Amino acid sequence: MGEVTLETIAYAKLMLHAAKYPSCAVTGILLADGTNIRDGAKNQDLNIVDAIPLFHHSHYLSPMAEIALTQIDTMAQADNRVIAGYYAACENFRDNTVEKCPGQKIAEKIAELFPSAVFIVIDNKKVMKHLDSPAIKVHSYNEGKWKPKETSNILYQQSYVLETVSYLLQALVYKDLVDFDNYLDDLTLDWTNLGIEKVIASINASNSIEREYIEERVSDKENDY
Amino acid sequence: MDTYDDLSPNEVNDLLRKWRENNERKSSDVVSLWMNVLQAHSNKFGNEKYVLLEQIIYAMLDCHLYGLAKGLIYVLSLEFPRSLRVMRYKAAALEAEEKYDEALNVLDVIINADETNAPARKRRVAVLKAQGLIHEAIKELADYLKKFMSDVEAWQELCELYLQVQEYSRAAFCAEELILHQPHNHLMHQRLADIRYTMGGIENMELAKTYYCQTLKLNPDNLRALLGLFLVANNLLGQYKSSGSSKRKEAWKLSQWAQSRVTAKQREAKAKLGLTDMMLSLSLAE
Repeated sequence: MGEVTLETIAYAKLMLHAAKYPSCAVTGILLADGTNIRDGAKNQDLNIVDAIPLFHHSHYLSPMAEIALTQIDTMAQADNRVIAGYYAACENFRDNTVEKCPGQKIAEKIAELFPSAVFIVIDNKKVMKHLDSPAIKVHSYNEGKWKPKETSNILYQQSYVLETVSYLLQALVYKDLVDFDNYLDDLTLDWTNLGIEKVIASINASNSIEREYIEERVSDKENDY
Repeated sequence: MDTYDDLSPNEVNDLLRKWRENNERKSSDVVSLWMNVLQAHSNKFGNEKYVLLEQIIYAMLDCHLYGLAKGLIYVLSLEFPRSLRVMRYKAAALEAEEKYDEALNVLDVIINADETNAPARKRRVAVLKAQGLIHEAIKELADYLKKFMSDVEAWQELCELYLQVQEYSRAAFCAEELILHQPHNHLMHQRLADIRYTMGGIENMELAKTYYCQTLKLNPDNLRALLGLFLVANNLLGQYKSSGSSKRKEAWKLSQWAQSRVTAKQREAKAKLGLTDMMLSLSLAE
């Protein structure tokens, strides 16, 4: 129970958001698949299917957060998704705790409405072009506090996650990431980042072809013996 | 990715000047342009060379190229021995390497030599902020502003810092100060309105309404202010229950007006009407 599965798309978006604004704190919303979700239950298994990058400035002001969350809520309901968590990276390079993150009130509100919610803190120091660890810390809400989750309870939906996201970082894909602040500056931008989703989907597809190929080769070899 | 491949050294120099003037940092681009194009031609640009080098040094520090940055600082210190400005680069290099105490020492030497050296004093605040000492940074910055009251940038930073520690009424004071300095800057009015809205309560809502309206008077295209005004109007509709009152009517009108403006702006941008749907769902909830 309480397993959290991250789709590469969700993980990639939050990492790219942090990479786009290295000098700022960044925040965003996590969406989970709404099938099999029971209202009000604690410690459910979550499948985080998407992340919505919100802000990189004015974190402590509420008007635009209200606008963004209402809009995300409408959209999520239409797609059978639920707002299932919050992510943030701190402004200060060394800070990687929930307490130092902006928007804790928003996160607590999410947990109030959805008790299984998670809070992902991006571990600034571990973010690099060649990721050797996921560089995130996942927390779940327990008795009014965010407690770190066992890493064994955090799964990744696709294989080669770190490789995929490292590749996106090296290819400077983060320059194309759009957060809600960007959208408010220019309404023609797409804050759902469909373009980046397509890139990731094609990487995932080629990864799975590669894996099939390797598996075939392995079984061929076994047959030879 | 942006490509600067076919730019001549002069064009690169113009580009970098533009970034300098617009306060665009673009550190990795600056460093790569310097390395690939400009480095060999830096003597062409006369006295501009020195501000250019300053820009390069800061960009290198941003990109963790400490050795290269120190090389340039050394070159400059040979040309300008005893220059306080060059000393500031040294402090910046120490700061980048997280040698905060040493950086503070260098900054103190600068301030002792020149009491009016505002950049060095502000750097002290930045060092404290980098160490996570937000309350100390606030104190230092407030002291600074007692001496340099007309520093808009510093008021802005103090406003941010107060928001970070949730001292909204102090942040509002800073925002008011900013409006006094730049009465025609719509962003300053919007900021104060945002703060008042966040503080909540009927009085603050009324203030937020006024400042959002002033923002939109100065810049009718400020989308954040339109959306903010919509939220404020909706909130006021909730406060003024009695249906006949003039205040309620006014709030209703403002809400409708903000909605139609936002819809028009989305149409203009040929964007989806997501914000309109969102506003409709909020008004229905009201």
